[in-house]
Amino acid sequence: MGQRITRAALAVVGLALLAYGGLLAWEFATSRTINAVQGIAWFVGGPVVHDGLVAPLVGVLGLLIARFVPATWRAPVAVGVVLSAVLTLLAIPLLWRPFGVATNPGLHDRDYAAGLAIALGVVWLGVLVSGITRRLRGGATPRV
Amino acid sequence: MVHTAGQPMTTEGGKPPTNDTPSPTSPVPRGGRLARLVDRLQPPREEDFRSPAHHERVTARVGLWLGVAFAVCFVTGLISHAIQKPPSWFYWPASPVNLYRINQGLHVISGIAAIPLLLAKLWTVYPKLFGRPLVRSLHHALERASILVLSGAAFFELATGLFNIAQNYLWGFYFPSAHYAVAWLVAGSILVHVAVKLPVIRRGLVRLTAPEAPAEPPSGVLSRRGFLRNTWLATGVAVVATAGATVPLLRNVSPLSWRSDRGPQGVPVNRTARAAGVTDLARDPEWRLAVVTRRGTTRWSLAELTALPQTTAELPIACVEGWSQSATWTGVRIADLIRLAGGTPGTPVRVESLERKGTYRTSTLPGPHTEAPDTLLALHLNGEPLDLDHGFPCRVIAPSRPGVLQTKWVHRLEVR
Repeated sequence: MGQRITRAALAVVGLALLAYGGLLAWEFATSRTINAVQGIAWFVGGPVVHDGLVAPLVGVLGLLIARFVPATWRAPVAVGVVLSAVLTLLAIPLLWRPFGVATNPGLHDRDYAAGLAIALGVVWLGVLVSGITRRLRGGATPRV
Repeated sequence: MVHTAGQPMTTEGGKPPTNDTPSPTSPVPRGGRLARLVDRLQPPREEDFRSPAHHERVTARVGLWLGVAFAVCFVTGLISHAIQKPPSWFYWPASPVNLYRINQGLHVISGIAAIPLLLAKLWTVYPKLFGRPLVRSLHHALERASILVLSGAAFFELATGLFNIAQNYLWGFYFPSAHYAVAWLVAGSILVHVAVKLPVIRRGLVRLTAPEAPAEPPSGVLSRRGFLRNTWLATGVAVVATAGATVPLLRNVSPLSWRSDRGPQGVPVNRTARAAGVTDLARDPEWRLAVVTRRGTTRWSLAELTALPQTTAELPIACVEGWSQSATWTGVRIADLIRLAGGTPGTPVRVESLERKGTYRTSTLPGPHTEAPDTLLALHLNGEPLDLDHGFPCRVIAPSRPGVLQTKWVHRLEVR
């Protein structure tokens, strides 16, 4: 009973917020053509790129790791791949700037390629240490 | 999705395909190797995903923290929006001085934390995308549609937000309106999603009393717990890699912080004097500050302002885009100026810049800020005369306000 009321309340509030967001989005999209076209492209683009490209890539990488990486090294390598991907993703807007504003002093003016390289170096050093530790422990491989 | 028929598509938890047994349902391969490969391509089925990561217990835990991240992001975003477009009932205090800085830091950091969390969450439920039949009932159809809105809106907010903090505008629309409208769609569709999934969520979050038999194949890459730990680790790494933009302790740690110490006088500049088109106007010796009250207009030259009692305050510039930098500002209290011009502090003041155009050429200091003793018309920054790019001859610096409203190159104050 309690849960039914909670669910109904969540649904009602959620639908109200959706309606308000929909109204704002409608006003936004109908005020300029570029808003509608690019807004929809960005909205649809996320799920399309994720479901059609990112997630399959994750699956394939998982398969490759399971197939080619020795059991002891699988978890550290998988963690290394995930961390590298997240760091690279976060670095993209800083590294790839076809539409970036002219540099403002004190903003976006650091060496992000070097920063990313160092971060990836730290990650893979961690992978190496973790993998070697697991190997040295040998036998019953602890699973992460 | 590419895989070979007859070899169940396994993810990192499953045993990799090792043999080449053709499925009884797949067509008999004809022709060359390429044709055979093409024949074998078909989408995976839901049950082909065998990784422990796809378990509802994993989904519920990642989802919980993703929900927390989005909730923090939404609330802080609404607060920031209200400060910039205040409704009549809205009140934002002038102290503590770092309140807006913390609000906006939380907004951007929770948004960044949501990126790995969203990707992990979607990976745990990715097999459901391949569930057949596509639609089982009206209820099921609505549920799928709401998830499409949720995923579209969530990606929209995180992607545009991430590019916006880098001031990398891969769009032609006005970011604040879009980001604000879609935020409501994210919030609404999350609540609907939770309403639909509540029984599953509760089941998934329940603490196991007896240890569950390990149902995970030993050849897996990451166990359920391993996947969760990796998700927390990736989230932590994402935060540490960027939070230096606002957290002083991480200043020299975060490789991807978008602010640096290279700004003039150690403070970043979001809009240079040249970009604002005020280079000559700001340097004009004829420049005067006009303060308008009911009594009339009072004018001060820069020398006259410098001769007035000076106040020094340690205040942050806290940008809506998340970066912040504390600095030492010296200048005349806005409250003193209002009194000298015949007005009463505590009423809103409209601040006008020398800029001819631009969304932020004017701002309105609310009542609590005009009477705050540390709201200044700053003439000095970190012990030096204000740099041209920081708003020479004078700028507003008030506690707990967004950077875009700390108007630079001020030439007029109107007491309302």
